[in-house]
Amino acid sequence: METNPTIVETEPVAASTPREDMIARIAPGREERVFLVLSIFIGVISGLLVVSFRMAIEWLSVLLLGSSPNPHQPRLLYIPAAAGLVIALFTRYVFPNVRGSGINQTKAALYINNGYISFRTVIGKFLLSALAIGSGHSLGPEDPSLQIGAGVASLISRRFGMSKERLRIFAPIGAAAGLAAAFNAPISAILFVIEEVIGQWSAAVLGSIVLSAVASVVVARSFWGTQPMFRIPVVDLRDSRELLAYAALGVVGGFASLLFARCLSYLRPKLRSQPQWSQLLQPAAAGLLVGAIGYFGLVQVMGAGYEAIDQAMHAQFAWKMLLLLALFKIIATTLSFSSGTPGGMFAPTLFIGAMLGAAVGTFEKIYFPHLTGTIGSYALVGMGVLFAAFLRAPLTSVFMVLEVSGNYSIVLPVILANAIAYLISRTLQPVPILEQFTHQDGLDLPSMEELREESNLHLEDAMQPVTVPVLQGSETIADTLLSLAQYEDLKSIPVILVHCLDGLWYAAKREELEALGEMIDNAASQIEPNSEKVLGESATLAEHLGPERTPILFPDLPLSSALPHFQRWPLLPITNRAMRGSLEGTITLQEVLNRYQKHNQH
Amino acid sequence: MTLQTEDYSSLKRRLILRDSLTFLSLVLITVVLFLITFFLFRSFASHRLELGQRWSARGQAAINSSHPDQAIVALRTALSYVPGQRSYELLLAQALGDAGYTEESYNYFLGLWETEPGNGFINLRLAHLAAKKSDVQTAVNYYRASIYGTWEGDGVLRRRDVRLELAQYLIAHHELSNARTELLIAGGNAPDDVPVSLTIAQLLEQANAPHDALNYYHKVLALEPKNPTALESAARLEYDSGHFDDAHRLMEQAMHEREAATSNQETIYPSDKEMLDESTRIFALAPLKKLPNNERVTRILQARALAKKRFDACSAQVSTASGLPTPLQDLTTKWGSKDATSNRVVLLNDPTQQDATMQLVFDTETQTSKICGAPTGDDALLLQLAKFPKAMEP
Repeated sequence: METNPTIVETEPVAASTPREDMIARIAPGREERVFLVLSIFIGVISGLLVVSFRMAIEWLSVLLLGSSPNPHQPRLLYIPAAAGLVIALFTRYVFPNVRGSGINQTKAALYINNGYISFRTVIGKFLLSALAIGSGHSLGPEDPSLQIGAGVASLISRRFGMSKERLRIFAPIGAAAGLAAAFNAPISAILFVIEEVIGQWSAAVLGSIVLSAVASVVVARSFWGTQPMFRIPVVDLRDSRELLAYAALGVVGGFASLLFARCLSYLRPKLRSQPQWSQLLQPAAAGLLVGAIGYFGLVQVMGAGYEAIDQAMHAQFAWKMLLLLALFKIIATTLSFSSGTPGGMFAPTLFIGAMLGAAVGTFEKIYFPHLTGTIGSYALVGMGVLFAAFLRAPLTSVFMVLEVSGNYSIVLPVILANAIAYLISRTLQPVPILEQFTHQDGLDLPSMEELREESNLHLEDAMQPVTVPVLQGSETIADTLLSLAQYEDLKSIPVILVHCLDGLWYAAKREELEALGEMIDNAASQIEPNSEKVLGESATLAEHLGPERTPILFPDLPLSSALPHFQRWPLLPITNRAMRGSLEGTITLQEVLNRYQKHNQH
Repeated sequence: MTLQTEDYSSLKRRLILRDSLTFLSLVLITVVLFLITFFLFRSFASHRLELGQRWSARGQAAINSSHPDQAIVALRTALSYVPGQRSYELLLAQALGDAGYTEESYNYFLGLWETEPGNGFINLRLAHLAAKKSDVQTAVNYYRASIYGTWEGDGVLRRRDVRLELAQYLIAHHELSNARTELLIAGGNAPDDVPVSLTIAQLLEQANAPHDALNYYHKVLALEPKNPTALESAARLEYDSGHFDDAHRLMEQAMHEREAATSNQETIYPSDKEMLDESTRIFALAPLKKLPNNERVTRILQARALAKKRFDACSAQVSTASGLPTPLQDLTTKWGSKDATSNRVVLLNDPTQQDATMQLVFDTETQTSKICGAPTGDDALLLQLAKFPKAMEP
């Protein structure tokens, strides 16, 4: 299979590898300190770049499409097409790694190439995405901002000679900063990076991600101001029966996201399988078609479309127009994105969601006028719905709406609608769209959805009742031997558990105890008969076994937590958290392996 | 061992130096990047501002030339360059309303109201839109919020105008008591100004508060004694209140003023003339207590004769249909009593009998008007007198 050059970047081999071990010895806490300080720098620089990126988009938009693009202006047709041609040439010959949205590229950098994103890619992403969006291609600036942030992080961290482990996690830190600045929503950015890029909560990076996201948002707000991206309408849920209307929106959103995902997953590989020369023309053709949509009346679908979102939120379109806009945005974005034009999916997703939400809201206002929710609140929930269903980031979607609206009373409709849309999308399209893109690109990046839903096995899942003999560590050797004598088939018992005085356990192999008995027999034969009694009475079994004890394990611990101990212990006791030393069961390596096998078969 | 320690120290120094230099360069890069972004942004922002101003001016021009649809496009463009610009948003919301997008305009103003709930203008526009949507209570609430809200410029004047508008709205929705309250408050806060007092008086009249209205007309007349509108309206109210002499005087003056001002296209309304005639006739008909006794009795006898005629006509009209109703039967009894038969001499010598006879006249006119319909001619005037018997007192 041909390695796809559009996602994987090859890290140049360093002339002289940094002496990581030596630095660690000279300054043991250096990396942690530098890591935190760098996070702030990454945030600030990402914020500045994202501000410039947005400026570039808007400047280009005015320059290329005019200050007030309206239907039937011929430049709507030729400008996106011409820009598409320029983008295709630059993508082919100058910036080969800038295709796509930027999310998967960042994930690829994180999982495949130790967080490496080249400076050239950052520059290319900046310039070509700005040109694409500014010229009217139906794409958004958020995902490229995410990659620009990750690129900045990669660039800075490399200069500091950080360890490979640290270098890898700098990419998500920069990604969070870029996204936070682009979206003016730090919480959503942090959650998105955790949900979609890292895949799990990690204390090691959380602090740095927060620092960089906050720094970038502060920078962005110092330029753009603190106002949200959209004028947020009145959000009010007075009657809980209105939740039914939001549930309907969840259903509509779920199916719309399915349609959007199907369109993309069909057209993208089709276009990418075309001959190389035709791929050079694809962005231009996509631009022409998107421009035609604008030319013939729906100019709102061109570019990121934030103004149209704002207008939809304030009930400035009829519901049929809103549905039309949503449909044509799906078509336009599918064309732009599948053609390989660099740009993001966030803004189009929000656009489609807002239009559908506003359409549902307007429809319900007309036919069920007693419902009190404003059309804007439906549009806002619609944005979250598409985000949850299409990008499969349910947690981020809820927080995004809360953060953008600044209104907690919208939380119930958002959770309900998002959950319904997410479930529909998941059921009808099990593989998320971002994962499909990675598969289409010939990569095998970890699925964040699978990671999130992975059911972790615990010790209790493999734990067995206690079947081995249990001895008291307080017994003397003589009493121990007498106790053991009760077991007729002692030879068949491989392990014996010894309950020591401090509430801890010792898992003794049968051979160990036999050797102990022999040792005492030998000692007895060498000294006077009276001494044997003295020896047996004075020394307990626990004392003879020494200070080492089995690890303390509880049933709720991960199953993997037992694995490191089987090299030393043949069997591990599982104890109760409430009563120290109280035995719940035992576990062996074989039982752990059997449990894992069983789990995988499911 | 000593050498190793020296190496260690040297390495540590070099590491610190390297990190410091890298951080310094990072700080410098950040500062340079910040400055570049800052200057670019300034240029960018001023360019956007310029575009915003250009498009808003177009929008304003379109509103002025009654092309709200063009104004909407222009103002939306302006707002895309200067988001959140209050004046543009207000213009856009206004243009939406003018273009007939009531719901959109309402939502837009509501969004603006969210950020500035105390703005008088926004509340007034919301009141207009709510009124357009026939949401009376909401409209009244926004009107009130507008009255107590903040206004740019002459707030006192704007608040009074809004209050008067609210009163008109309340009158239109038959909330007369609330309308009267608003008008009295407006009047209390208003300066001694003829047009304002005249407006308040007229609205009070519409709010079914004739007494208050009359006060305001008198206030106007105190300021401008020859104001024909105030004279006419005051005359009419005086007439309706039974102050026929005042009504006559005022209407006469009003007619005089109108006649004097005919060159100014002032017209004399037929109703005014009619009222003047009626008040003149009432004076000729009414047995006023200030009249000499002889004259008074003559008028009483004249009134009694009119009332008897009216009673007979009504009785005949009703009895042919379905027998006399109880009130008429009572009147029949009364007309058989001495009040109906007392002669001139008796009346001249007995003022109590005069009053009793007039009471019979008034009862007759009142009851027959209820049973046989509104009277005309002198009977109507007697009925008017019956409503205000005190009008005969000096």
